[in-house]
Amino acid sequence: MGVPRVPAPVTSLLALAVTSEQIEHLHRRFKQLSQDQLTIRKENFDSIPDLEFNPIRGKIVHAFFDKRNLRQESDGLADEINFEDFLTIMSYFRPIEMNMDEEQLDRFRKEKLKFLFHMYDSDHDGKITLQEYRNVVEELLSGNPHLEKESARSIADGAMMEAASICVGQMGPDQVYEGITFEDFLKMWQGIDIETKMHVRFLNVDTIAHCY
Amino acid sequence: MGSRGRPPRPAAPRPPALPALLPVLAALAAGAAEARATSEGQLPGAAAMGTGTPPSPSGTAFEETRLHVFTLDYPHVQIPFEITLWILLASLAKIGFHLYHKLPSIVPESCLLILVGLLLGGIIFGAEEKSPPVMNSDVFFLYLLPPIVLDAGYFMPTRLFFENFGTIFWYAVVGTLWNAIGIGISLYGICQISAFGLTDITLLQNLLFGSLISAVDPVAVLAVFENIHVNEQLYILVFGESLLNDAITVVLYNLFKSFCQMRTIKVIDIFAGIANFFIVGIGGVLIGILLGFVAAFTTRFTHKIRVIEPLFVFLYSYLSYITAEMFHLSGIMAITACAMTMNKYVEENVSQKSYTTIKYFMKMLSSVSETLIFIFMGVSTVGKNHEWNWAFVSFTLLFCLIWRALGVFVLTQIINVFRTIPLTFKDQFIIAYGGLRGAICFSLVFLLPPAVFPRKKLFITAVIVVIFFTVFIQGITIRPLVEFLDVKRSNKKQPAVSEEIYNRFFDHVKTGIEDVCGHWGHNFWRDKFKKFDNKYLRRLLIRENQPKSSIVSLYKKLEIKHAIEMAESGMISKVPSSVSLSDYHEGKIKPLSPTEMENMREILTKNLYQIRHRTMSYNRHSLAADAGEKQAKEILIRRRHSLRESLRKTNSLSRERPVLAVSAAFC
Repeated sequence: MGVPRVPAPVTSLLALAVTSEQIEHLHRRFKQLSQDQLTIRKENFDSIPDLEFNPIRGKIVHAFFDKRNLRQESDGLADEINFEDFLTIMSYFRPIEMNMDEEQLDRFRKEKLKFLFHMYDSDHDGKITLQEYRNVVEELLSGNPHLEKESARSIADGAMMEAASICVGQMGPDQVYEGITFEDFLKMWQGIDIETKMHVRFLNVDTIAHCY
Repeated sequence: MGSRGRPPRPAAPRPPALPALLPVLAALAAGAAEARATSEGQLPGAAAMGTGTPPSPSGTAFEETRLHVFTLDYPHVQIPFEITLWILLASLAKIGFHLYHKLPSIVPESCLLILVGLLLGGIIFGAEEKSPPVMNSDVFFLYLLPPIVLDAGYFMPTRLFFENFGTIFWYAVVGTLWNAIGIGISLYGICQISAFGLTDITLLQNLLFGSLISAVDPVAVLAVFENIHVNEQLYILVFGESLLNDAITVVLYNLFKSFCQMRTIKVIDIFAGIANFFIVGIGGVLIGILLGFVAAFTTRFTHKIRVIEPLFVFLYSYLSYITAEMFHLSGIMAITACAMTMNKYVEENVSQKSYTTIKYFMKMLSSVSETLIFIFMGVSTVGKNHEWNWAFVSFTLLFCLIWRALGVFVLTQIINVFRTIPLTFKDQFIIAYGGLRGAICFSLVFLLPPAVFPRKKLFITAVIVVIFFTVFIQGITIRPLVEFLDVKRSNKKQPAVSEEIYNRFFDHVKTGIEDVCGHWGHNFWRDKFKKFDNKYLRRLLIRENQPKSSIVSLYKKLEIKHAIEMAESGMISKVPSSVSLSDYHEGKIKPLSPTEMENMREILTKNLYQIRHRTMSYNRHSLAADAGEKQAKEILIRRRHSLRESLRKTNSLSRERPVLAVSAAFC
């Protein structure tokens, strides 16, 4: 492969605190996925064998093309992404560094949670409605052939009720809970250390796991 | 442990007529001693109180004994009687501590129990003017230790354990080696200084002493850490280390002991020692896993005889322990592996009641064992087994602390390179400070053959001082230190359905991203194992094998529980009677008609509930079921309230209105 030709805009990505070694690895991987093209499309993700078994495959692939994740001003889905966008998505999964202060950690955490929020909120309206939630649960449980749709629906309903109670407190029987906003979402993940769990060590990219 | 060799019987006062099963209990109390003294001269079974004439040796036919109205026959029941009294005493002591509710939070129970033991030992010593019997190492290793390890292994959070496995293994093996050799060599250096009068202790003896004193003890760690609730990560590191270091301790102990007894040491022996380590560790784990699978397979067929299901769990795990001991492998690792393997599959096969029984019984056994161990440690301390030497004892203590701190620090620097979440200084401090010594080194030191170790008493004294220091000083101060350092504590929130969903979602996201990156991370291996598990293992070992998502099973179990509650409280008389206890007994629910299901669901979804806490929080002496019961009551109260509300509004228990309210809320 020779010297990896890292595109120029990447230097701005060093601000994302992804090291140059990691960039090199990811570039190699990008080239594999894109089959040496400059951009990746949704179809390229089909070539990853292990991703087939992932129940929320659709959402993950979708997340790569989601303009909100790509930090672009517009909304909606991109058709194709280049290496810079690929890196932007990957930067959501970088590990925390020891020398981060409180404010940085908080920002870090919010970013990661926003990424997850966008995965739930498929119609991009800033709220996770009951229908979207049901959709998520159904997809999650889609790997299980014995499950009826009813169960998935009721589980989602129950989870939504819990969310309502955490965010709004006791509700009267006529009150309407519209959906989980990002602030509510933050509240619910308060107990979980997302900043330590949500990272992938892409230093050890094993190029044996290549695509067909 | 059998691997330590047959213990030389410690000098214990024993009446010759009694079997030598548990000599330690022979000196229970001054009262028992007196009873023995009076009955000693009599034929067993014929001891008479009052005025009976003893049968004369010549056996003249005319002198008969009259019928005794009231007899006291202590030797007949002595052993079970004394065992029961000991256990009763231990449990009463525990009640006593908890009466003053602030006490357990300041002083860990282990300290108080040792104090009680000391008191008892003092009484016995004073009453009988000779040393109380020391804790028999066989009793400790074969009967008292397994329940504690079983309890810990059964409720160990496997996921966290395997995520940190590399670190745990690193600390356990390399750390213990580091400590053992470091302490041994530095003590040898001290012994060389002739001013202390210790020059007769050889290097090998020092190394052996170092190896037995560097073992972090799971019992002590559990006893102290359960009160301070540090975050799970730290807990699993310290506790996992204390479990896994058993293998290396066994090997080192035996190695150095045989070296002490051998005249020449060849290089081949050192290699044999290394090979022995692998055999001991891996062999123990294999035995555990094998028996775990057999246990899971057995429970597949027990649905007709639910009553003895818990028995299998205990029998198989104990079997794994003593089988491993038989082969001089690591029994602790065997029983841990067995418990961890069994847990997953057995839980699915046994009925709910059996599961509860297993939980409670395990906790009870381990609680009793732990109490007894600490009391015996106290009792055995008192006596004439000591030789005091300021230099040796104080330097031992000093070196233990220094080498532990150094070891943790150095090893962490190395392992942090490989960890995804590096360990901070605070973590390192707690890990070093939590390296408590306990009953294992205590028993090991008593097992030393006195012929080879003329200064055995000195060793015993040093070990006791170190144990007391770690248990008392470190045990008491660790809680304020944890608070002072602001170490992250565990959040004991009960997981809810939504959390389970998020966690599951998150796992998949992470796996997906790892796949995209081509990175074989933890998730990759875990996924692979899960696939293998689903394809082969679960089909073999679980009776009704339907690959269940944990989200669904959580939810279903909750539905069942609540339906039962509601039926029991008589609120909904129309709840289908098929969801009754007898059906639940068989683990099956007859299919309900769709409208009934819908109604039940709507009622449930109207209210708040939380899922039964499946992973235990690290409190060994109470079960999370307490919280669950409180919650069930709360849920019932709320439901009554809301149903009363709807009753008021519609004058009838109609279900249409709640349905409308819910659907209006979400559309």
